[in-house]
Amino acid sequence: MYLLVILIPLLSAVGCGLGGRHLGRKGAGLLSSTWILASSLLSFVLCYEILINGSTVYVELCRWIESDFLLTNFGLQFDTVTAIMLIVVTTISGLVHVYSTSYMREDPHLPRFMSYLSLFTFFMLVLVTSNNYVELFIGWEGVGLCSYLLINFWFTRIQANKAAIKAMLINRIGDIGLMLAIILIWKEFGALDYCSLFSTLTPSSACTWICILLTIGAVGKSAQLGLHTWLPDAMEGPTPVSALIHAATMVTAGVFLIIRSAPFFDCSPTATIIMGLIGSLTAFFAATVGLVQSDIKKVIAYSTCSQLGYMVMACGSYSSLTSLYHLLTHAFFKALLFLGAGSIIHALLDEQDLRKMGGIIRGLPLTYVLMLIGSLSLAGFPYLSGFYSKDLILELTYNSYCLMSIYWLASITAFLTAFYSFRLIYLSFGSRPNLTRISAQHLQEADWNLLGPLVILALGSILVGYIAQNMVFAPGVRPLPLVPTIVSFAPVIMSVTGILLVLIIRPYIIFYITRPSIYGFLFYAWEFNQIANYYIGTKVWKFGHIVSYRAIDRGILEIVGPTGIALLIIERTKQLSSLQSGLLFNYALMILAGTAIALKCLT
Amino acid sequence: MSYLILSIIILLIGILGIILNRSNLIIMLISIEIVLLASTILLLFESRVPYTLCGQIFAIVILTVAAAESAIGLAIMANYYRLRGTISIRALNLLRG
Repeated sequence: MYLLVILIPLLSAVGCGLGGRHLGRKGAGLLSSTWILASSLLSFVLCYEILINGSTVYVELCRWIESDFLLTNFGLQFDTVTAIMLIVVTTISGLVHVYSTSYMREDPHLPRFMSYLSLFTFFMLVLVTSNNYVELFIGWEGVGLCSYLLINFWFTRIQANKAAIKAMLINRIGDIGLMLAIILIWKEFGALDYCSLFSTLTPSSACTWICILLTIGAVGKSAQLGLHTWLPDAMEGPTPVSALIHAATMVTAGVFLIIRSAPFFDCSPTATIIMGLIGSLTAFFAATVGLVQSDIKKVIAYSTCSQLGYMVMACGSYSSLTSLYHLLTHAFFKALLFLGAGSIIHALLDEQDLRKMGGIIRGLPLTYVLMLIGSLSLAGFPYLSGFYSKDLILELTYNSYCLMSIYWLASITAFLTAFYSFRLIYLSFGSRPNLTRISAQHLQEADWNLLGPLVILALGSILVGYIAQNMVFAPGVRPLPLVPTIVSFAPVIMSVTGILLVLIIRPYIIFYITRPSIYGFLFYAWEFNQIANYYIGTKVWKFGHIVSYRAIDRGILEIVGPTGIALLIIERTKQLSSLQSGLLFNYALMILAGTAIALKCLT
Repeated sequence: MSYLILSIIILLIGILGIILNRSNLIIMLISIEIVLLASTILLLFESRVPYTLCGQIFAIVILTVAAAESAIGLAIMANYYRLRGTISIRALNLLRG
C-alpha cells in the first residue's frame, strides 16, 4: 500500500501519455482522475496509520549506488512530515485532475496534459517520501522538468516558451545550491540517508555552509527574494497548472527541503537568521507587489510568494513544524483561490485582467462564496484555517531570540495580505461592472466537475487548520509562544483593518494615493526583472560574448586548434615541396650534404 | 700523402663541377667521370700501402662501371636531345614538386 500511493500516479502518467490516443479525451480524464483520487484515498489511510497511530514506516526498495563509502539506496520513509506532504500533494493533485477535465474540456491535447499532471504528482511523491538526499534530488529535478512541460503546455505561445525556459533556468540556480549541499554533506558526514545522518549529526563549521547552500536550493525552488522572478511569469501556463504546481506543491518543495533538513539548521544559528531574514523580506516584498497587480493570477502568484516567505520565516525561527502546518493550510486555500480564479477566467471567456471584471457576483454567486472563503482564510480571519497557522508564525517570530525586524515585516505583511486579497475580491466581484457585453451575457457558473473540487477545497480551508493542529504537533511538542496579549491580538486586528480598509477607500484609489512613480515601482515588482536583465543578464551576456566566445572560443582555441594547425601545415608543406625544384644540381648538393651528415653521424 | 691530397682535390673539383654547373649536361657527365677517377686514384693509393691487390681489383671494376655508366649516360643524353633539342640542365626541371 505504501508503494501503491507512489506507483498509481506513475501508472496514470504512463497510461495517459502512451495510450492517450486510444483513451480519447474523456477516457484519459476519467482514468487519471480516478487513479489519482484512489491514490489520495490511500494517502488518507496512510495518514491514519502514521499520524494517529504514530507508526513511522521505512521501506527499503533496492540498492542504487555502492562505491566505497558512498551508499545510496532507493528507500521510502513515511513519518509525520511525509504524511502531511502526502495529504497535500495527493489531495490537491486529485482535485486538480478532476477540475482539469472540465476546465480543459475544449483542449485537443487533454491526454498529454493529464499525463504531465500525473507525472508531476509522481515526482512530487518521490520527493516527499525519499529517505535520502539523492533520491530527494530525483524528485526535485523531476518536478522542475514537469514544471517546464506544464508551463509550456501551450507550446505555440512565445510567452509560454519564454516563461518555461525562465522557470527552468532560475530553478537550476537553486538546484546547483542543493547539489553542492549534498556533496558537502557527504564529504563532512559520509552519509546521505536521513536516519543515519541526523543521528550522527554534530555541530561543525561545515554546517553553516551546508545550511546556506540548502537555503539557496530552497530560494530557487520556493521563489524567495532574488530568485522569485519565475513564479509570476509561470502564470502563462493553464490555470490548473498554476494551482497545482505554483501554489500548492512544487514551490513548497523548497520549504519541505528546509523542514527535512531542520536538524542541520539547529546546528547553525547564523544560517537560520539569514533564512528568517530572506523569508520575511520575501513576504513583505511580494505583499507590496500584490497590492497593485492587475492580472488576477499574478495577484495570487505574488500572494503565494508572500506565504512561502512566511513558511521560510517560520523555519527561520526554529519552528519547522509550524512551517509545515502553514504549508498544509496554505495548500488548501491557495489551491482554492487559484481554481476559483480559473472559474472566473473560464466564465469571462479567458479574461484575466482585474480592470475588466467587476460586478460578476450576480452571475457567479457560488464562485464568489468560495473565493471569499479562500480570501478570508488567506487573510487570517479568525477560526478559518489561515488564522491558526499564520497567527502562530507571527507569535513565534515575536518570541524568537533573533531580530525584531522580522516580526514587524511579518505583521505589516499580514495587513497587506488582507488588503490585496480583498482588493481582488472587490475588483472582480464587488465594484461596478467593466465587462464586455458578450462576456456579461455568457456569464454563468461552470459544471460540477469544475465546482466540486472548489467546494471540497473550501471545506478544507475552513476546517483543516483546526483539525490538523492536533495532528501536526504531537502532544507536548507544540510550540506555545509566551507573548503579550496585544501581540496575540495584533494579527487579527491587522487583517480585519486590511479588510475594512478595502471597503472604505475603494482600491482603485491606491493609484492616486501612491504617486505614479511608486505605483510603477510596485507594479513592475520592484524592478527586479529589469535589474536582473540589465545589471546581471546583459553583463553576463557581454562577458560571455567577448571573453568566452570571441577571445577564447573563436580566438585562442581556434588558433591553437583546428584553423591554426591547418594554416600551419599548408604553409609548411608549400615550403617543403619547393625543395623539389627539378634541378639536378640541387639534388646532387642534397645528396652530398646528406651523405656528409650521415658519415659524420656514423663514424 | 700527396696522392691523398691529389685525389681529394680531384674529387672536390668533380663535385663542384656537378653542383655549380648549370648549363651543360656533358660537363656534368665529365664531372662524374672525374669523381670516379679520383676514387680510382684513392683506391690505387690505398692498395700500395698494405701491399694487397684488392684496391687494384676494385680500380679495374670501377673503370668498367665508369665506362658503362658514361655509355648509358650518353645514350640517355642523345635520346633527350632528340626529344627536346637541347641539353641544358636548366631546361630539365619539368618534374617540379
